[in-house]
Amino acid sequence: MAQLTADQLAAPVHDDHGHMSVEDSNNNLKLGVWLYLASEIVIFSIMIVGYVLLRINEPAVVAQAHEKLGVGLVTANTFVLLASSFFMVMGLRAMQQGNRSGMLRWIGLTALGGIVFLGGQYIEYSELSHLGIVLGYDLESQWSTLGMRFYAPTAFHGAHVLVGVLWALEVMRRGAKGRYDHNPIGIEMFGLYWHFVDVVWIMLFTLIYLV
Amino acid sequence: MATIAVPVGAQAEQNEQEAVRRPALSEYLRWSVDHKIIGVQYGISSFLFFLVGGAMAMGIRWELLTPALDLMVSGSAYNSLFTMHGTVMIFLFIIPMWAAFGNFVVPLQLGAKDMAFPWLNAFAFWLIPPAAIVILMGYFVTPAEAGWTSYPPLSTLFSGDGQTLWALGAHLLGISSIMGSINFIVTILNMRPESMTLWRMPLLCWAVLATSIIAVMATPFLAGALTLLLLDRVAGTTFFDAAGGGDVLLWQNIFWFYSHPAVYIMVLPGMGVLSEVLSIHSRKPVFGYRMVGLSSMGIAFVGFTVWAHHMFTSLQPELRIPFMITTMIIAVPTGIKMFSWLGTIWGGKIRFTSAMLFALGFLSMFVIGGITGVMLAALPFDIHVHDTYFVVSHFHFVLFGGSVFAIYAALYHWFPKVTGRMMNEQLGRIHFVFTYFGFLFTFFPMHIVGMLGMPRRVAVYDPSFTQWNQLIGLSAFVLGFSTFIVIYNVIRSYYRGPIAGANPWRALTLEWATTSPPPVTNFIDDPIPYEDPYGYGTEAATAYLDAVDESFRNGRPASGGH
Repeated sequence: MAQLTADQLAAPVHDDHGHMSVEDSNNNLKLGVWLYLASEIVIFSIMIVGYVLLRINEPAVVAQAHEKLGVGLVTANTFVLLASSFFMVMGLRAMQQGNRSGMLRWIGLTALGGIVFLGGQYIEYSELSHLGIVLGYDLESQWSTLGMRFYAPTAFHGAHVLVGVLWALEVMRRGAKGRYDHNPIGIEMFGLYWHFVDVVWIMLFTLIYLV
Repeated sequence: MATIAVPVGAQAEQNEQEAVRRPALSEYLRWSVDHKIIGVQYGISSFLFFLVGGAMAMGIRWELLTPALDLMVSGSAYNSLFTMHGTVMIFLFIIPMWAAFGNFVVPLQLGAKDMAFPWLNAFAFWLIPPAAIVILMGYFVTPAEAGWTSYPPLSTLFSGDGQTLWALGAHLLGISSIMGSINFIVTILNMRPESMTLWRMPLLCWAVLATSIIAVMATPFLAGALTLLLLDRVAGTTFFDAAGGGDVLLWQNIFWFYSHPAVYIMVLPGMGVLSEVLSIHSRKPVFGYRMVGLSSMGIAFVGFTVWAHHMFTSLQPELRIPFMITTMIIAVPTGIKMFSWLGTIWGGKIRFTSAMLFALGFLSMFVIGGITGVMLAALPFDIHVHDTYFVVSHFHFVLFGGSVFAIYAALYHWFPKVTGRMMNEQLGRIHFVFTYFGFLFTFFPMHIVGMLGMPRRVAVYDPSFTQWNQLIGLSAFVLGFSTFIVIYNVIRSYYRGPIAGANPWRALTLEWATTSPPPVTNFIDDPIPYEDPYGYGTEAATAYLDAVDESFRNGRPASGGH
């Protein structure tokens, strides 16, 4: 016979999740991250469409910008970001095999990749601003229509990389304490996010720099 | 007759005359991860915003009592007043109010112990107070005056800092809404006990699921649009300024791609409430249960294809007819619900409780709002009444006659579960009469002045509309007064209402299969739902309900045949 005792009623509310198995809880978390990423896709696509419309309507402006800028730096940057996704996979694998220090190394490399990418983006942005391609509208500049449509999606993506780097550091902090030894779901969630950021970049790289 | 197993599982004891310990009021004022506490937090705070927005509506009607400016110092002051009225009512009242009922009721109806992510749930709620402060603060600087739709260039070139604060606040509310909805989807899909199959889910859960899918997929559009708007306002970009190579219509497209689905965010949970209340209070199964569940999903998906009917006057002409057709199509799943509700109460043993009265009020008012919706979808008619009071009337019939009536029905229906006490039915009936007639005489005449050509969003109007506006204004004050009746009723019933017991309405859904208010863990054992959540009127259901009552009386499940 189950009766509520006064103790149970007074118990702190977060004590009642013992009923959920680790597997169920992991599934919840993964579905949650997927739904979150679905909503992110929408925001990115608004900005991407904004750029694509310009690309269709004013191909000359875009072609000039391509000529001035070249794709060397950004290609290297793309490679770094893709490599960091690989490090991410290796980090998760290491943890699944119970290798905590290996995980820390690989996730550290992931974060480093993110930092290098942001550094590259900083160099690129300063070059562009020297060319006069800036965010705000400037009547004098021939780049006015390009600037905002270029910076909005790439900077929004850059902000996601920054958040990813901070998240990676947090994963390392928790991982070092042994938080993921038995259940690496935290690393897996970060991995979903990081791969998503990577995929978005491949889209942006293709649309903005290649075509 | 077969013996009836009592499948509720072991639950806490509650005698009909005995009050269960309820959370101290101070628990509602601090961070809590219990979905029931969070639900009440959502409910109280959105109701406070309802009062703020309502006071603004009273100001609007006061101004419109005469054709000239009197209450307001200028047309701009009037603009910012109705801008804040719309913003507060939509973003701070209706949408979070459904999160209130969703939070409190959905996990209980599913038989779950809590939401999937309790911490995220609390976080989503606590984003609302700062967002509200930011938005309301804007009213006291240079207020936003572009309407709740905030079309550029009104919201870019002709608005002050209040517009920036408006956009920031709306952004925060959007994030809160997305997080809340992710939580609902995961809870409904993953947190059900095994015996609660999808097709045994109460219709409120179906409605909240559909609503949450819309919120997760549509709200980011608002977030994207607001980001671009903020860039235009503070970073000097020209996304929405044609002079700088931007596109004014871009805002309208993205905004309505969010805001039309958001209309269903505001009313779908109310439709779910209606199915619950009508079925329980007329003791009959929901007519066409599966179709009602699926029609929620249908509305969710078709809702994404109709946005440009808000832009008939600014759209490329060749796109008007396709959007007219999709808009008329969305009336079909709504019609399915309407017929289901009528079929549900048809021949039932109707009990005119306050909850039932408000549900019937919804039924009669929402059908008018729905019909004027189809009228507005018809292009030739829409061009004629575009931007007139006809439109104002239409959306108040669906948002007040629909959502608010459903909110009141839900309040009277679930108040006993939340507080363990019944509300006063006599006061409830008085409240209903004042609300119903106040509402009808406020908003119905707006159809007429609209068709006669009175434009919306103006403080100064043609003197020939004066008498109509006086009728509307006086009725609006009656409507405003009616709110105080329910406030008094809630406070009085919280302290002095009769003890409700576990299942005062003799309902079959699982939130009634635990004590009122439920214990922290909701259920002791996983509850086992009755085979049909709305299977009223059968001997088996009666035996089941008797057995449930019995089990609460004894504090242990009675043993059955199986």
